[in-house]
Amino acid sequence: MDERRVIRLTLPAELRYRDVAVRTVAAACRLVSKSRTAHGSVAGPRGQLAEGEELDLSDRFCADVVSAVSEIFNNVALHSYAEGSGEISFELDIAGDHLTISITDTGSAFDPSDIPVPELEALPEGGMGIHIARACMDELDYTPGPPNTWRMTKYAPSAGRSRRLSSQI
Amino acid sequence: MPLTHTTEDADGVVTLKLVGSLDAMTAPELAPTIDSFVGEKRTKIVVDLAGLDLIDSSGVAAIVGLYKRARSYGGRVTVTGARDQPLAIFKLLRMDRVFAI
Repeated sequence: MDERRVIRLTLPAELRYRDVAVRTVAAACRLVSKSRTAHGSVAGPRGQLAEGEELDLSDRFCADVVSAVSEIFNNVALHSYAEGSGEISFELDIAGDHLTISITDTGSAFDPSDIPVPELEALPEGGMGIHIARACMDELDYTPGPPNTWRMTKYAPSAGRSRRLSSQI
Repeated sequence: MPLTHTTEDADGVVTLKLVGSLDAMTAPELAPTIDSFVGEKRTKIVVDLAGLDLIDSSGVAAIVGLYKRARSYGGRVTVTGARDQPLAIFKLLRMDRVFAI
């Protein structure tokens, strides 16, 4: 039986809090029971769950989700609040075979059509964040607010439902 | 999580070892070291990512920036030891071939 569990986290939309958001999301990924690959173990190749400072992103499902969340967090922290700081809120919806994450802020909205697809052959040094997020998640969309809301979903590989829908960005 | 970086210099090759997370918060810490490599016109630069657990697009940009600046004077940057999430990002951005990963 798939049991849904929700984690909510609100923190300052500042880069110094990146680590808090990333670690919480990584922990939530491990709670998606079908995120273990068919041949992998819970512990991963190094045989130990990471402790202390080390962040274990050897699991591909977890690595991809963290990649996407990292980029969106950066965008909100760097662009949403022009004066002073504001907050960024996460809602992590953990199901048996997928993870849905909503990220909201009450700062400036942006127009997704303003962001060009990066030309990777030219070795860009910026503008890759949304491209990364879109590639790493099965679903990704943005709704300007207030509150501005990013919503993303990733299906665990062994769930057999992993798919790439066209994003709305 | 923090970034730790160390530099080793041997046989004309300078190796920059990164441990932890190279991201929007920590990437600026590399600027002085990168500036010194470029200032000294080092032609053989290795970026060792064996200890790197996490990278974001800002971290990639720092490495790409070093690569382009070195290339402008004929220097070469290679990346070694990339694994897990950082390796996945380099492949996603199709930069694995550029850096001989």
